[in-house]
Amino acid sequence: MKKLLPVLLIAAILLSISPSEVGAFSPYTTWAVGPGGNLYPSQDAYTPLDEVDLPISAAEELFYAPDGFLYVADTGNGRIIKLDEKFEVAAEYGVGLLQAPTGLFVDEEGVFYIADAGKNTIVILDKDGNLVNEFGRPSEPLFGKRREFLPRKISVDVRKNLYIISEASVDGLVMLNTNGNFIGYFGANSARMSLEMILQRAFLSEEQLSQFIKNEAASPSNLAIDNQSLIYTITAGTSRDKSIRKFNIAGKNLIEQVFGSQTFRDIHVSEDGLMTAVDADGLIYEYDLDGTLLFVFGGPDTGDQRLGLLSKPASIERVGDKLYVLDQDKNAIIIYQATEFANKVHAGISLYMDGFYVEAKPYFEEVLTNNGLFIMSYQAIADAYYKQGDYAQAIQAYRYAEDRGGYSDAYWELRNAVLQRQLGNAMMAVVGVWAASSIFTHAEKRKGWLEPVRRWLQGLSRYRLVDDFLFMFRFIKQPSDSFYYIKKNKRGSLTFAFIIYAWVLAARILSLYLTGFTFSPYPSPAWIPVENEMLYVVMFVFLWNAANYLVSTITDGDGSVRQVIIGSAYSLFPIALFALPIALISNVLTMNEVFIYNFLNTLMWVWTGIMLVIMVKEVHNYSFSATLRNVLTTLFTMALFLLTGYILYILFNQLYEFVWAIIQEVGLRG
Amino acid sequence: MAKLTLNNKWQRFGLVLAAAVLAASALPVGSAVHAAAPAQTEIPPAYQLAAENDYYEMYVDKTLLSFKLLDKRNGYLWHSGIDETAEGDRLNKSWRAFAQSGISIEYLDEKAVSKRVSLANSPHTLTVTPIDNGISADLTFQDYGISLRVLMQLEETGIRIEIPAESVRQDDPAFKLGLVYIHPFMGATRGGSTPGYMLLPDGTGSLVRFADSTKAKNIFYGRYYGTDLGIIAKMPYDRRIVQPYPISFPVFGVTHGEKQNAFLTVIEKGASYAELQVHPAGILTNFNFIYNAFIYNQSYFQATNRSGAGVTTVQRQTNSFDVVMHYRFLTDEAADYVGMAHSYQRYLLDAGLLNRAEQPNPDIGIRLEFLGGDKENVLFWQRFIPMTTVSQMETILDDLQLPNPEVVYYGWQPLGATNVPPTSLKVENGLGSVKELNDLSEKIQTEGGHFSLYLDPQAALWEESGYSPRNDLAMAITNVNIEGYNRSYNYYFSREALERRYNELSGDIAERLNTGLALDSIGWLLYSDFRGDTPYSREAALSVYRQILSETPLRLGLYRPNDYLWSVTQAYYDIPLGDNGYIYTSEAVPFLPIVLAGYIPYYGPALNFSSNLSQDLLRQVDYGIYPSFFLTQEATANMLNTASTWIYTSSYNQWGSQVQQTYQWMNALLAPVRGRGIIDRVKLAEGVFATRYDNQLEIVVNYTSSPFEYNGISVPAADAVLVESVP
Repeated sequence: MKKLLPVLLIAAILLSISPSEVGAFSPYTTWAVGPGGNLYPSQDAYTPLDEVDLPISAAEELFYAPDGFLYVADTGNGRIIKLDEKFEVAAEYGVGLLQAPTGLFVDEEGVFYIADAGKNTIVILDKDGNLVNEFGRPSEPLFGKRREFLPRKISVDVRKNLYIISEASVDGLVMLNTNGNFIGYFGANSARMSLEMILQRAFLSEEQLSQFIKNEAASPSNLAIDNQSLIYTITAGTSRDKSIRKFNIAGKNLIEQVFGSQTFRDIHVSEDGLMTAVDADGLIYEYDLDGTLLFVFGGPDTGDQRLGLLSKPASIERVGDKLYVLDQDKNAIIIYQATEFANKVHAGISLYMDGFYVEAKPYFEEVLTNNGLFIMSYQAIADAYYKQGDYAQAIQAYRYAEDRGGYSDAYWELRNAVLQRQLGNAMMAVVGVWAASSIFTHAEKRKGWLEPVRRWLQGLSRYRLVDDFLFMFRFIKQPSDSFYYIKKNKRGSLTFAFIIYAWVLAARILSLYLTGFTFSPYPSPAWIPVENEMLYVVMFVFLWNAANYLVSTITDGDGSVRQVIIGSAYSLFPIALFALPIALISNVLTMNEVFIYNFLNTLMWVWTGIMLVIMVKEVHNYSFSATLRNVLTTLFTMALFLLTGYILYILFNQLYEFVWAIIQEVGLRG
Repeated sequence: MAKLTLNNKWQRFGLVLAAAVLAASALPVGSAVHAAAPAQTEIPPAYQLAAENDYYEMYVDKTLLSFKLLDKRNGYLWHSGIDETAEGDRLNKSWRAFAQSGISIEYLDEKAVSKRVSLANSPHTLTVTPIDNGISADLTFQDYGISLRVLMQLEETGIRIEIPAESVRQDDPAFKLGLVYIHPFMGATRGGSTPGYMLLPDGTGSLVRFADSTKAKNIFYGRYYGTDLGIIAKMPYDRRIVQPYPISFPVFGVTHGEKQNAFLTVIEKGASYAELQVHPAGILTNFNFIYNAFIYNQSYFQATNRSGAGVTTVQRQTNSFDVVMHYRFLTDEAADYVGMAHSYQRYLLDAGLLNRAEQPNPDIGIRLEFLGGDKENVLFWQRFIPMTTVSQMETILDDLQLPNPEVVYYGWQPLGATNVPPTSLKVENGLGSVKELNDLSEKIQTEGGHFSLYLDPQAALWEESGYSPRNDLAMAITNVNIEGYNRSYNYYFSREALERRYNELSGDIAERLNTGLALDSIGWLLYSDFRGDTPYSREAALSVYRQILSETPLRLGLYRPNDYLWSVTQAYYDIPLGDNGYIYTSEAVPFLPIVLAGYIPYYGPALNFSSNLSQDLLRQVDYGIYPSFFLTQEATANMLNTASTWIYTSSYNQWGSQVQQTYQWMNALLAPVRGRGIIDRVKLAEGVFATRYDNQLEIVVNYTSSPFEYNGISVPAADAVLVESVP
């Protein structure tokens, strides 16, 4: 008896993605952006499929042309090759014409645009490889008298404008037409001055300065163009968050900030809304077209020779659900295949980028099933809810996505709804309460109902601390007068001063926790570095008091330590009184009312500052100019304290190192 | 009935077809071997018959300790080295000496510079005395004062090689013995002249097919059981890269013509100080060769200040271990990786290193690992975040209604997963009581499953309390604490601390809880310990682990155990689904699953983290691997601020139905072959494999995207079917 026991796979397990031979194991961890903008591990987005050796030498560019074939700028062999489906060389172009092609672009008609780094020219070949045009440095004076033309990479837009990366060009991309006429510079990077640079400039001589690298904007190192003729550039050697820029036709950068790399090598933009870049460490970054990071994966091959790790990646292309990376060191193309998981993300992204938020939502919900920390999903889902008018759900999702703008907008809608519904009632209530209270006050004045309460309250001020507490409110109206009481030791006490300090500390910490999500610098209370925040407050209080007293003793200040401590404490009352209310108010504000929040905060700090100045003036009995001098000297002394502390820390560290090394040596040789 | 006969007919047709295909594929293979083989059938006069039994004749060259082995079953002659070099071999003098000599060594001078010398190119004394079934050879490399004794004996299955620990002497203080290479060119082939492959113990097993060229740019070095943390001090960490699976069994094989001739090398003793070196033809030489090198002394970098300056020196105490390894020869049907796996399985059974785990349940197991919880920092305190309490676990299991769950509870200890477990049984209060745990465990067991507590007995969690950093930690040779990571970043316990803590805890658990233990790390991580005056070697650690685990009165499941712990393993967790993907390997094969099949049930990595679920499921069915899932009751986002965020998806609400579907599908396929041995695995077509079990059933897996016709049965695209084997 031969029996047939077929068991069919449950359809749900097998998703509609067509299976192919997929590597079961990838040698790298895939990371996705999660909460707090941090990277968290994720399911793999791509698994390595194959490594194909090619008969090329130090090739710099791989290009997927509109005709559906891959072309390689075989730099070392001075030619362009066309690869067939099996990665065999199907044709070669430009032999004898090219010296060291490093940049390649093939347009719809099959015309080759080549940046030749050997000859420093642009070479244009027709689709059969015949020379159409070749030109070097533009002769137009606008190009710049001393500017060199060192073309390395090239892209061409639909109007046949050539965008050329010229090595070390600080003015941006060189824009030429097909005849080699200079059109202009495009999309320059901007230089940034750091504090360090400013200090260097202030203190160093010309000669010393020339030792440093010139502060010029790093020049873009590679580029890509999308089907709307938007230009994407990458810049190696610049800060990570500025490493990718996206320029519209006017040359305006559309990507403010990006989670990038300092060693980007190539970038590719695909029609389905994905941007992919590879860096020198073999890491591959995938973004949506707004520069939101989706995945990072890959890594350097340090000799292990595991499939999927790269030694010197030069170029990256996306074809369908595959990535092709050209490795200069391996002389090979490494192929990666998108996984089922990544395909879901891509499907969602594609809809989302086109504005179909609601349609994209189911994809992202499925993505979240697979990876609950995939923050991009929350963003997309939140946008979908917002579009559908489900603000309560949207606000929750925005919060997960850490999108303050979205959160604030959704909250505005919710608040608006509440206001619409309750505004009438609220007005009535306010008017009612006002009327009742004024009638009550009027009546109470005549009848004195509250007299016993008032007397009891006054009686309380017999207690020192209660009096100290009440004294604090005096500062609101008569600040300088009140410091006089401290000076005469009439009111205020050391005990209450320390209570104020503790209060300030508590108010500061609590306000961090209670500030509304829209205005909080931290995505979640758990991220708040409590120890640091506390340390800052305690350090400030301690250093201020110490420095101010020390400074005042040598500048004829009258105040004693006690008076300084008490005076400073009372000066901080705006923080003690208002920090928490401001934090609470921030919970009902949206981005539209950001000025209210900022104004209140500024007011609190400025008030505190003024109070401290008045305190110095009154307690030490200074003239106005002496006061200013004292305050500035105090701040300077505080800085010196910090510096000294730091130097001592370093010295002791050195000492420790030294002793440790001696012990090690003795232990080893003894 | 009509349908059956139709099937019969189709199956018969398929059989004929399959036979034809097999014959067609076998024919050219055979002819190629015979074309390449003739020059090698003569035994040169330098070789003398040293031993003979029913199956083999062993001839030894008593000047170079190389041998020829004649397999009397089919007359095939094996060579331990290269006698005559040919044009294009790319062997220079040093390599030729290496290829000719049975034994080569690498010595280290006082500056820790190493150099390799062979019997053929270094002055030496050599005394060969005949012993039972072979010879004993005492040899001394005179220039370096290094002596050792090599025993070569014929046995029923092949050749046994031994180097006794006490025979190794280093009389010249200026030189230390670094490596001993044994028969490095055993079975070496030139380029692609001989069809066949080398089997690497990489992951589940990996083949390197012989070819004229290779993608490899440097050779493969693989330390059995991974590198020794006692020497390197810190596990290499790069968050971008997944560290390759360490080699978990000391075995390699070579095939000369598939289903014709093959041998398998198994290390019986000394594997923890052995390294596998693989040369695919095209790197350095024109030969494919693979061999073991044994490490007696290693150089290491001793930092003398904290900025990293220091000196490279040689370890002070030479590693002391016996070397015993076996060549096992296979012919005809057995001469492929399946036959090698069976030969290795036979070896393990004979040596008592593999036992049959009881599997009375008629359904396959499914590992469900639950995270109890973890802690997060709040102000100055730590707060426990419960993810799955004991009662929630019970609810989930009731909901799933799976007949044979293999439940593992992770993060059960006070404050959860990233706290060092106590030395007596304490369960986090937020999760439940010992009593509740016991009730659940007994309930699971009466319903046919198993319940285990997760424990990493080696790990002393970094910057956590619960152990003495001064006394309890293992030290590297450089006098620093050993560091590494698995689920968390760890120091590691010294042998004493490990033994004490493990025995106390496991004893307490055995007394109060009817449960098992799921042991991580200890199965695959092996380190020497240089704490104190008497360092503990890896060999010593290995036997201690085996001893304390075998004395544990609890059922043990182990994560990726090395071969020396298979005898105590009742369930094998996290078996790899393939190899490490080295670009020069040709394909991954289920060598390890074939060895274990029928003896230890093996479970794959948690499928939550799979990015190609359908492909991974097919692979698991192909290899007979049981499914695993990581589950929590609460949403994953709850533990965002804990150290357990590596479990980035786990919520039961999201995974419940997937767990059900996966289990139903896999159980239907694998339950009929549960507990059976795998007798063969055949590639039916590109991307289609049949795995045959010893109860006349086979599973056909079609990885491709188009249906496959097999014996009249259509295997749908990306699917698998269970069929009766055609006899």
